[in-house]
Amino acid sequence: MAAGLSSEDFTNLQLLLKAPSKDAVRDVCVQSHRAVSQRLTENTAATFSIPAAQAAQLIQSLHTLSHHVLFYNLTSPEQILAVFPESFHSSLKNLITKILLENRSDFWKLLRHVSLPQLKELDWRVDLVTGSDSVSRMAVPTCLVQLKMEDPCPSAVGDSISTVTVELSRESLDTILDGLGRIRDQLSAVAGK
Amino acid sequence: MSPAVNGWEAGYILDRSPVYRRNKFNYRHLNAAELVDMQWKLGMAVSSDTCRSLNSPYVSLLLKIAEPSGQISQKALEMTIPQFQNFHKQFKEMAAIMETV
Repeated sequence: MAAGLSSEDFTNLQLLLKAPSKDAVRDVCVQSHRAVSQRLTENTAATFSIPAAQAAQLIQSLHTLSHHVLFYNLTSPEQILAVFPESFHSSLKNLITKILLENRSDFWKLLRHVSLPQLKELDWRVDLVTGSDSVSRMAVPTCLVQLKMEDPCPSAVGDSISTVTVELSRESLDTILDGLGRIRDQLSAVAGK
Repeated sequence: MSPAVNGWEAGYILDRSPVYRRNKFNYRHLNAAELVDMQWKLGMAVSSDTCRSLNSPYVSLLLKIAEPSGQISQKALEMTIPQFQNFHKQFKEMAAIMETV
């Protein structure tokens, strides 16, 4: 959920000044984006020498910030810097901005996007059927297609990758190509507008 | 002729090679399903809880598949435009090869 940033969040972010190194800041920013976990809280508390409660708030605020940047599609340094209040520590602000920009595409990929299963792989093979139990000599081409799809919201039990294998005759393939051609035409029509 | 004919009648596939069964010149690989229908949709993702302004076009397909058992199942999937273009290209290649074989 895209929660707004509050002044409390910026207070929490200033805890980053207690980091032992820039790498420590980078690490906590990157890990907070993914999830707010107990383990991360404990590690951060230890690394920064701050109480666990403060570490938890810092992580939550970092999480809110990185999601805010993605939600509003802030892609330039100026846009991200503008999010911080005037009074915010200047070099820390620059460092956080730099980290957020560097990790932008990774952060985007980690988001759970609502969608149907996404096409992952398409493999195929053309076979020539040269004989069967009822016809000893023949030459009928047939195509085996395997689709791999990844479900972005898999059920707890199920595997996120599902595979479908279908056999296509020349006629089926032509029908599919017909449909795909229409999609291509629609795309061109929409792009032209 | 498939050596597993008798085995097939008995319900077993004796060797592991595929067994073909004729059905009015529709040759069905017994282990693979048949695509019965393909419906499509070209959409534009406008906004989501993760991104206020997505503006991301996508193609979604609904495949109706008949399993060897006869059972019909449906599979829905989505792809980006570059993925769709590759998808289309692959199918054109399949058709070209089917033509020459």
